[in-house]
Amino acid sequence: MSQPTSNPKSHRPITWAVITVLLLAALVGTLWVPFYARTTPKIGAFPFFYWYQLLWVPVVAVLSWICYLLIRPGNRRGSDGHRAGSSGFSGRDGGGRS
Amino acid sequence: MSHVNAVSFTILIILFLVVTLTGFAAARWRRAEDLLQMNEWGLGGRGFGTFVSWFLFGGDLYTAYTFIAVPALIYGAGAAGFYAVPYTVIVFPIVFIFAPRLWSVARVHNYVTPADFVRGRYGSRGLALAVAVTGILATMPYIALQLVGIQAVLTVMGVGSSSNEFLKDLPLLIAFVILAAYTYVSGLRAPALTAFIKDVLVYVMIIVAIIYIPMRLGGWSHIFSVSGAHLKAVNPKTGKPFGSLVTAPAGEWAYATLALGSALALFMYPHAITGVLSTKRRDVIRRNMAILPAYSLVLGLVALLGYMALASPAVRTGVKAHDSNAQLSVPLLFQHMFPSWFAGIGFSAIVIGALVPAAIMSIAAANLFTRNIYKEFFRRNATARHETKVAQFVSLIVKLGALLFALELSKTFSINLQLLGGIWILQTFPSIVAGLYTRWFHRWALLLGWAAAMVYGTIQAYRTPGGGQAHFGASSAPVFGQTMYIAIAAFVLNLVVAAVLTLVFRALKLPEGADETQPAHYLADPEPGEAVDA
Repeated sequence: MSQPTSNPKSHRPITWAVITVLLLAALVGTLWVPFYARTTPKIGAFPFFYWYQLLWVPVVAVLSWICYLLIRPGNRRGSDGHRAGSSGFSGRDGGGRS
Repeated sequence: MSHVNAVSFTILIILFLVVTLTGFAAARWRRAEDLLQMNEWGLGGRGFGTFVSWFLFGGDLYTAYTFIAVPALIYGAGAAGFYAVPYTVIVFPIVFIFAPRLWSVARVHNYVTPADFVRGRYGSRGLALAVAVTGILATMPYIALQLVGIQAVLTVMGVGSSSNEFLKDLPLLIAFVILAAYTYVSGLRAPALTAFIKDVLVYVMIIVAIIYIPMRLGGWSHIFSVSGAHLKAVNPKTGKPFGSLVTAPAGEWAYATLALGSALALFMYPHAITGVLSTKRRDVIRRNMAILPAYSLVLGLVALLGYMALASPAVRTGVKAHDSNAQLSVPLLFQHMFPSWFAGIGFSAIVIGALVPAAIMSIAAANLFTRNIYKEFFRRNATARHETKVAQFVSLIVKLGALLFALELSKTFSINLQLLGGIWILQTFPSIVAGLYTRWFHRWALLLGWAAAMVYGTIQAYRTPGGGQAHFGASSAPVFGQTMYIAIAAFVLNLVVAAVLTLVFRALKLPEGADETQPAHYLADPEPGEAVDA
């Protein structure tokens, strides 16, 4: 998933390594069924099986947001100025239309 | 059951009318110079920002699958149905990685469908045709699932309970004809705008349900203990317990592969890709992947409605009275727990929550047919207007096909409709996602890998009995001694065939085909930078 480094848009390999680790954590944490296929410890009346998996929802949201911050366009020099002005409903046809 | 609650019914009708009017009015929303362009009708002008896209994705991905099928499976089998939670947890990180590349290359080359990309990347009409046909085929049962969801609500409301077959399906047909009409007129703008109404209803419904119903049922501990007791009971048909509160060791492979297979498959569906391509900036996709899990939380909570239904004696009696149709458990729960006006809101949330994605799905399938079958093989010189006219017409045909799926296949566990679609659509993953990164795979090897997996997956699904029918009864089958989701087994076969044949075809020096894309196209972002034009 890393890009050829010659392209100006690409990010440092370390950024992608961090992203890969964060996102792999989500995959392993949710797909390793034997780890969470049990009832205890409970939170309130909720068996472990349920609250553990539901807990991953906000965790993944936070992980994804961190990844987004790491590679968003504004994170690089030169593109910040354009971001602010393009959030409205204007500028609909950003090219590529025939 | 011929008694129809006037209050619930009136609220449903009013909200349905609001959605219908919004659907037609959407044609004027962010008005295009000419709606008869594929970029306009089929992709809403490629101009949706983070806010609109979030609602569109939500409207797109959280469907009757979420509101009816998943809780029905939980109601009938317990923990096994909860795989939908890890599925929706991991889908966004996966999409986070590759979707921006697809967006960029599609923007540069003006691709409207995933098959457009495959055609351009591999210079192969055959492979593009395979991707297009698979997309249309897999979408049909998914739309059918939406119909089953609407039907479940109508059945519980007592609408269309006449013994006459035609009258029985009439309300569903009317709803569908109206949906078809405004989709035809407004294109993708219609579901994008109606998704707002849908989401407001859904969030209100689930927040109230998750607080109010457990109070009425005697608390969560009571819900879990009664559900656990009912799941332990032995099913007279199979001689085994119905299910369990925690996955049994034998079900762990199925659980994980269902989650993984569904997650990999979701963004191969044409309607999900349509959502990606309709965004305004590359940035919007990644930002959305971070905020979309809010819907996954809703899905997790909706899934638990299955247990609430199981803990309610009135719902259990009601489900039994309708041939043990577990699909009815959530609508019945609303009927018995809520005052009739709020039940009406809950019913509307489910019905509209099924109509919105059905609209997006039929648009996406129509785009595929028009761009990659009609224009490619029948009318190479079709004008943009002609192309859009065909797409509008095909969106109607697709809905008709879905209606056949809905009427033909068993409704015991409607989730199977979605899982069957998943078996097929996942087989386009190597061509699309691998293609976003590398041209290593040979185009004909990908085609043969796809073919092998499609044949294997379909035969395996056909041979799997379940839910009282001999064929297409379930989507998990034993492979090498482990019961797993057929889509994953077929996917592995697909990759192996494609990889081995790539080596063979390369050694034979078979023509690679032209690639019209360049590495920089996969990272292009016309806004905020200067425009990149095709």
